[in-house]
Amino acid sequence: MTEENNKEEKTAQSKEDQEKKPVQRPAARPRPRVKKEAPPPEPSPKEPLLAELVQQVTEKLGEQAIEESYVNQNGEHLLTLVVNRDHWAKLASLLKQEANWQYTYLQNCAGVDQQTYFEVVYHLYSLEHHDQICVHVKVDRDQPEIPSVVNIWPAANWHEREIYDLLGIQFTGHPNLQRILMPDEWEGYPLRKDYQPLDEGV
Amino acid sequence: MLRTEEMLLNVGPQHPSTHGVLRIVVKIDGEVIREATPVIGYLHRGTEKLAEDLNYTQIIPYTDRMDYVSAMSNNYVLVHAVETMLKLEIPERAEYLRVITLELNRIASHLVWMGTYLLDIGALSPFLYAFQDREKILDLFNELCGARLTYNYMRVGGVKWDAPNGWLQKVEQFITMMEKRMKDYHQLITGNEIFIQRTRGVGVYSQEMAIQYALSGANLRVTGLQRDLRKEHPYSIYDRFQFDVPVGRHGDLYDKYLCRMNEVEESLKIVGQALASFPEKGRVLGKVPRVLRVPEGECYVSIESPRGELGCYLVSKGKDKPWRLKFRRPSFCNLQILPVLLRGENMANLVAILGGIDIVLGEVDC
Amino acid sequence: MFGLVKGLGLTLKNMVKPRVTYKYPHEPLEMPNRFRGIQYFIPELCIVCNQCVRICPTDCITLTGKKSDDPNVKGKVIDTYEINFEICILCDLCTEVCPTEAVVMTNHYELATYSRDDLYKDMEWLSQNNTLVRKENTLHPLPKKTGAKKA
Ligand code: SF4
Ligand code: SF4
Repeated sequence: MTEENNKEEKTAQSKEDQEKKPVQRPAARPRPRVKKEAPPPEPSPKEPLLAELVQQVTEKLGEQAIEESYVNQNGEHLLTLVVNRDHWAKLASLLKQEANWQYTYLQNCAGVDQQTYFEVVYHLYSLEHHDQICVHVKVDRDQPEIPSVVNIWPAANWHEREIYDLLGIQFTGHPNLQRILMPDEWEGYPLRKDYQPLDEGV
Repeated sequence: MLRTEEMLLNVGPQHPSTHGVLRIVVKIDGEVIREATPVIGYLHRGTEKLAEDLNYTQIIPYTDRMDYVSAMSNNYVLVHAVETMLKLEIPERAEYLRVITLELNRIASHLVWMGTYLLDIGALSPFLYAFQDREKILDLFNELCGARLTYNYMRVGGVKWDAPNGWLQKVEQFITMMEKRMKDYHQLITGNEIFIQRTRGVGVYSQEMAIQYALSGANLRVTGLQRDLRKEHPYSIYDRFQFDVPVGRHGDLYDKYLCRMNEVEESLKIVGQALASFPEKGRVLGKVPRVLRVPEGECYVSIESPRGELGCYLVSKGKDKPWRLKFRRPSFCNLQILPVLLRGENMANLVAILGGIDIVLGEVDC
Repeated sequence: MFGLVKGLGLTLKNMVKPRVTYKYPHEPLEMPNRFRGIQYFIPELCIVCNQCVRICPTDCITLTGKKSDDPNVKGKVIDTYEINFEICILCDLCTEVCPTEAVVMTNHYELATYSRDDLYKDMEWLSQNNTLVRKENTLHPLPKKTGAKKA
């Protein structure tokens, strides 16, 4: 690009060419500086929706149900709730059944190892209202247990087995909690950050 | 007296109709299936774990190997997730190339499904025709990015190659040819009485059930629900194109066939429109930093792959490698419904129903 | 019944069409220029920058450099360069990052051998694999004028 510009301008005006060069160089340099200055996050247009959601949940389940709530500004401004584990089962069935939510479609369910704790992340979709939310549930690392939601969303079945298989989180109430991807006799949970393969170097 | 007792039968893992290495343990009572349990994991390579040790460019070739029938969508979902996190601007020309390749890949994928599915239920010749046409798409891809299946074509910020000279014309020729071929397919299959009798009313499920099991793609649309992520949450530049979302009415296997064939026609339309408005000039790779450091945070993006909703959940801790990368693989989710569908079915329908779901084992096992 | 007969019509139509298959092992297939095949390595061009090793997703390149014998040449020259084709997935990333196009793709794709050891290709073999070389390779050519020092 710059070479092309220069060539064209050289033939036309040599003065402009000289002026241009000093302008271009500083433009290339400050790039690393721009990167570091994170722009202050603007409040998302979905903040009111989040406040409403949080209020409705606290009304039904009490103050402790939601540990944290924020709008994930990456992508489509996703409402995100961090739900207390003890309240998750109740909230899950509410999320599915309440007329103004109806999150009937379980898009995704993933387990994350956050080193000090585990996290199970649900992405729910409401086909009625065309609306998506994300629910995080924190799980204790020493005693990784979380109520299963297979009875609410049958689609969670294999997802939960996969998370159990790879992260070792116990889903209480799951009909068939067995390893799904790894062999049954596999030792350890591969997706944990501290996982050490048993048979290093075949 | 006839002695009847239940018998355990192992289908797979090496079985031609499982399209990979899937094992199904079926409990049969005479010809009737009492219980079916899919056993998966034979092709598990730990892509998600491997990805945690690779930087974002290096993961792209690994995604090729997930759904190897439509590797473009896998490529795309990963770069789309990274681009969403980085809030990158993609050059126009790259977006068009992406849409064209994604849709061509969808056509190729549906052709494979159609061919192998009919092969599964006993019709040999459609397979040959379908692969002959798919071959043309693969040749186009080979010319574009140097590989027939593992494209490694998308890059964060654009695509790797610009279209070579004359490539777009070739795509155009292919579209015209394929439109004619679709008529042939309808002539060959759609009206075939044997095929209709084999698939009408088989493997039916209701819309509620499809939603409960979070089916996606043609498996969901066959029940009449019009959910296509290209329409519902337009990603890339899909909002610029006019196309319909074909849905089924009965939720049976024949409708699935019709749905997918109509989708091929819609894809042809999209490619046609994209070619018509293809930008003359421009970069195909935007300005991206050489080392991609994704800011801390997480995002979930999903696209409509030929098999359904292909999602990518990316958690980053500000490094050049993902902290956690999870793919929501449509085949994995869709396969869950198999035991429910098979209960009480005839053994002979197992292959037909399994084929109808359209799974790719590389993606199921990831 | 009618649907069946109609389908047969297509079969008849295709019977007289020319063949679409190749006589592959007897007649080699011609690949388009961009085809990603076994690499060709040009030792003279390599500046031992290690970028190809770092980008390779499967860690199949090993190289060592040494000080040049010629005192006029700055920097290192390549000593050994090996690609393990047991695990190379021909993903094109090494050729993409190589700033001097010292490692480039060719159109050769036949690698099958009877022994795994044969798949371990050293510098000599790779530098003799010099036919059907691909024309376009690197995405990041060495910046020529400005910014050469930065990289
Ligand atoms: S083609 Fe890919 S796998 Fe092979 S050596 Fe190059 S970077 Fe490594
Ligand atoms: S990237 Fe190219 S120049 Fe650098 S070490 Fe590899 S082959 Fe040599």
